[in-house]
Amino acid sequence: MKQSVKKKLWLMYSILVILITTIGLSPLVIPTFVFNPKLFGVPYTLWMGFILTSLLVILTFLGSKVHPGEDNSKS
Amino acid sequence: MIKWLIILGIIYLIVLFAMALISRRNNKSSKDFIFAGSNIGLLLGFLSFAATLFSTFTLMGMPDFFRVHGIGAWMFLAFSDGVMVFFILFFGYHLRKKVLEKGFNGISSLLQDCYGNKWAGYVYFIGIFIFLIPYASIQIRGIAIFLSSAFPEFIPIWGWSLAMVTLILIYSETGGLKAIMFADVFQGILLLVIVWIIAVTCINHFGGISNLFAQVEQTNAKLLSVPGPKGLFTFQFLLSSLLVIVLIPVSQPQLSTRLVIMKNLKTTHRLAIAVGCFAIVIILSTVFIGLYGAVLYPDHNTADYLTQVLLFDQNGIVAALAIIGLMAAALSTTDSQLFALGTELRSLIPAKDDSLLKTRLGIIFFAIAALVFANLADDRLVLLARVSFAGTAMSAPLILTGILSKNKPPSAIILITAVAILVFLLSLLGFIPSKIGVLRLDLVLLAFLTLFCVSSILIKNKNIKSQNI
Repeated sequence: MKQSVKKKLWLMYSILVILITTIGLSPLVIPTFVFNPKLFGVPYTLWMGFILTSLLVILTFLGSKVHPGEDNSKS
Repeated sequence: MIKWLIILGIIYLIVLFAMALISRRNNKSSKDFIFAGSNIGLLLGFLSFAATLFSTFTLMGMPDFFRVHGIGAWMFLAFSDGVMVFFILFFGYHLRKKVLEKGFNGISSLLQDCYGNKWAGYVYFIGIFIFLIPYASIQIRGIAIFLSSAFPEFIPIWGWSLAMVTLILIYSETGGLKAIMFADVFQGILLLVIVWIIAVTCINHFGGISNLFAQVEQTNAKLLSVPGPKGLFTFQFLLSSLLVIVLIPVSQPQLSTRLVIMKNLKTTHRLAIAVGCFAIVIILSTVFIGLYGAVLYPDHNTADYLTQVLLFDQNGIVAALAIIGLMAAALSTTDSQLFALGTELRSLIPAKDDSLLKTRLGIIFFAIAALVFANLADDRLVLLARVSFAGTAMSAPLILTGILSKNKPPSAIILITAVAILVFLLSLLGFIPSKIGVLRLDLVLLAFLTLFCVSSILIKNKNIKSQNI
């Protein structure tokens, strides 16, 4: 993969992480005293939080594939 | 249970000391002792990082946090960890790049090199000493209280604390960082297996996850949303927690060092992914253990609840494994913290020879300090751990600026960081308010430090450019 493409993708994933973080801390995910709609009996904030956390880990995986930095030598 | 505890306890100690002796045989130099050969592979690196990060605070504190404050605890820790692992991709790369450029004896000396000022290392070291010793202490105290509660007439709390610190000192002084990392692998796997055995027992008690949540709703519906029954999980609390947790790999030397000593950048990045998966799996188990307690033991104090759920509600072998697992969790974090403090102390004092004496004496001194503090500390594990994260996070803008800057950053950053640490400490001691208006002080300090660092660098770069012209 070209370095310029890697840089663009890395930037895109970084923006997505910031976006997910913002959503995760907004009333969209943490509304006060709201636990509906439930998913298989699991309250709203918990299942949404679980999905967002999983997305962050997936973005970490994708980010590691396109991170523009290189170092293969020992520190 | 006692029979199983003795059998498993002996096996655990044999494995621990065998690993220490193997590491001792493989240590050829002081660098091997301190940095484990600096060529760590994925499995060893990831499990060591995870075991160091997920301590007693996870195994004992988080179930209690879910029990008392409800499901907002997921956003407090797991969500923040998700952001943290992505940040490791960025920070790990820049840290390793700087280390290749300047060499590595510890974060303190790296900062001294970056800033061209001895005080950068001293301020960082003082900060981690003030906030890591209490964190190490609460790990020790948490387990000591639990063991004392489980075996009330056997050994007092201070006796358990002393036994654990002695154990840490023996194997870390014998085998160095490699022994600690091997022990971490063993302890990390043990921790994961045990929490899930207990979590499944808790789910099965209610006949499924849906039934568990239905029971929680009947007991206390406020546990199923934020801010929780006691109103803890406010937006500000979650935001400041997220920031200080994301900055843990930056500000806590036992974790920064692990990023440096990985074999290469690819392995460091894989470590981040693996830690993210580990975080989800381990924290998920504590949701069920905690909510089980919310239904069955809502009014118990922390020690009684944990004794009940981890010991008395389990069969003999699981209860014995839980005790070993809890000790393992505490040891894997505390040993790394004390060792990191010893390493940082050594990096601040220029060595004329290859001697490890300063590191060894440093570790013993910090272990004694942690032991003394363990007998004075509060019992609220998670909140004290969070204070420790916030305290060490005050150094994060200093570290990030040093590592990301091409030129030497202005020394004013060091002074401002020292002032911020002092202000935060004074607020913890109750001398100044912990809020400025409606804003949390830790949030304000972190925002101010970040703005100060960014503006200082911009001004300095502008001055350098105008001088060149």
